[in-house]
Amino acid sequence: MDLALQLLFTGIGIGAVYALVALGFVLIFRATNVVNFAQGEFSMVAAYLMVVAVEAGLPYWAAFIVALLGMALLGVIFNLGVYYPLRHRTYLPVIIATIGASILLANSVLAIYGPQPQVLEGWFETPGIQVGPVYLDSQYLLIIGVTICLVIFNFWFFEKTLLGKKLQATSQDKEMASLLGISVSTMIMITFIYSAVLGGLAGILVAPVLFVSIQMGSTIALKAFAATIIGGFGDVAGAIIGGLSLGVIETFGAAYISVPYKDGFAFLVLIAFLIFRPQGIFGERVAEKA
Amino acid sequence: MRLTRRDFAAGIAAGIAAPYLIKSAHAQGATIKIGMCAPVTGPAAESGGYAVKGARLALEAVNKAGGILGKQGELIVEDDQTTNPGIVLAFSKLAAQSDIVGFLGSIRSTQVHAMAPDVTKLGKPVMIGGTDPNLTHMGNQWLFRCRPNDSYSGRVIAEYGVTTLAKKKWAVLHSTDAFGTAGGKALTAALEKLGAPPVLDQGYANQSQDFTPVVLAIKQSGADILGSYFTFENDLGIFARQLRQLGVSIPWVGSPSIVNITALKLAGPALYNTYGVADYAEDSSAGSQAFGKIYRDAVKVAPDNQSSWTFDAINVLAQGINKAGTTDPAKVREAILAIKKFAGAEGEYNFDQNGDGLHGYNIVKNDKGKIVFDKHIEFND
Repeated sequence: MDLALQLLFTGIGIGAVYALVALGFVLIFRATNVVNFAQGEFSMVAAYLMVVAVEAGLPYWAAFIVALLGMALLGVIFNLGVYYPLRHRTYLPVIIATIGASILLANSVLAIYGPQPQVLEGWFETPGIQVGPVYLDSQYLLIIGVTICLVIFNFWFFEKTLLGKKLQATSQDKEMASLLGISVSTMIMITFIYSAVLGGLAGILVAPVLFVSIQMGSTIALKAFAATIIGGFGDVAGAIIGGLSLGVIETFGAAYISVPYKDGFAFLVLIAFLIFRPQGIFGERVAEKA
Repeated sequence: MRLTRRDFAAGIAAGIAAPYLIKSAHAQGATIKIGMCAPVTGPAAESGGYAVKGARLALEAVNKAGGILGKQGELIVEDDQTTNPGIVLAFSKLAAQSDIVGFLGSIRSTQVHAMAPDVTKLGKPVMIGGTDPNLTHMGNQWLFRCRPNDSYSGRVIAEYGVTTLAKKKWAVLHSTDAFGTAGGKALTAALEKLGAPPVLDQGYANQSQDFTPVVLAIKQSGADILGSYFTFENDLGIFARQLRQLGVSIPWVGSPSIVNITALKLAGPALYNTYGVADYAEDSSAGSQAFGKIYRDAVKVAPDNQSSWTFDAINVLAQGINKAGTTDPAKVREAILAIKKFAGAEGEYNFDQNGDGLHGYNIVKNDKGKIVFDKHIEFND
């Protein structure tokens, strides 16, 4: 029982990271009908921005704000440089452009900062707390807390605010939204900014656990992408549930069946969903979008 | 002036032949080229940078001392991207340059396995740092190892843990790649020989993001000592932190990656008081100390095995070519295999007929982040 509780906590913690990145995938997919394969690199870039800001002598909280502002700027540049010029083309050129952008981002960071993996300290001086038989890593606690807050924020933002409703309208029918006076390009710009910030937030939160390296983005993004499909492409709640499920399944699978095949369990679940329920837990039919 | 048909034909012929003649003259007269596959990008890019620096430092010293066959040595580096397909591509690019006389392969056994068939086809000496014992025992006569292999590291880890630390309940943790699997097998075999078969033999996949299940398995196994073979420092760093966080404080004797500069930086205090078998330990010999000084002066970073093996590889290859008096691969091979009592940064080289140059390991301890040499264990078999 003690073992199961410890695994459950860790699984939820790592799953929350997948969920945060998956959320970015979903928001961009809803707004533009394309998958942004650079979403994982957003996490990596933000973690490096954070390291640079901390090394420059900024207090941790200020470095955090600077990193997120940097990500907002990257969201603007990404929208204008990658999506906007191809917005009238089919989804395929845009997807290929995002793959190209992800390679460019990874190699740009490599060229500017070098290949050295970096250590980013966590928010708290105490690495964790022991609650009965379970050790609660403070960084995972923070990640879980932030994910819960973001779920609540997303619900409020998209359901209760005018801007959120405009974003939803744009994602559902761009032409109709435009006829209603909504600036579609502005809404898509906001979506890219928000997704970049979300991806960045995931990167900054997970960096003290996984270290800051060029590969960290792609490692997380692959699982987050699987989580997005499992949860249902285009569904915010699906991304969260998909991410958490994936984290828990792979952690329990590793502990009770086989450690070396840990990644295999995640992708087995993905394959099962693609075969038996391709629209995911909550999602719409992927085939119709694609 | 009238251009005749004959003048025109001669001009065309000269125009076609000139680049080849110039290139050939340049190749004959310029430098002795050595190719190097190194991880310039990918997860091992940082250690790859150290490897290239070690090789360049050695070549500078060789050139200052008269060069190779009286010519200056030149290093041609190709990025292996820290992947198997990457090193196959990198090696094929280098192999296509016929004037390259010898090569440096990888420190990663799995990459050396990937490139080995092409090495056989090419038939030129390739110095390697991969420690899977099979690499020099699978009939490939062109691989020369500049690090001790894992049949030695397994025996040293087992010997030190069982005899010196007096621990008999072992958990063996290893990567599931070629290096980790071979290392884990070697350690398990050595432990069985000492009458202490492991209570847990646990593999893991490279680039894991979480080791909680592994740590809990170690905890549940009741092991009183841990032996490990980690391929990547990121994995080692994450595991070390989680091991300590989850309250496991048993002694830990690891393969050389446990004392790598990158691992020490990432894991920090989580690796304090651990032991490692290290092919490079600065205080283990005069040759190691000399390399340590050269490297620190030039790179301003503490040396480790990532740079020491390439430093030695260049020196051994240069000495082999110089002793052979030619770049003919078969003669260079014979000359390398004849090298005995060569004092390198990693220790004393005595090549056997399989191509293994080193036959022992150092035991070191992480004393609050400082790597302290304990003893060297040499084998004669």
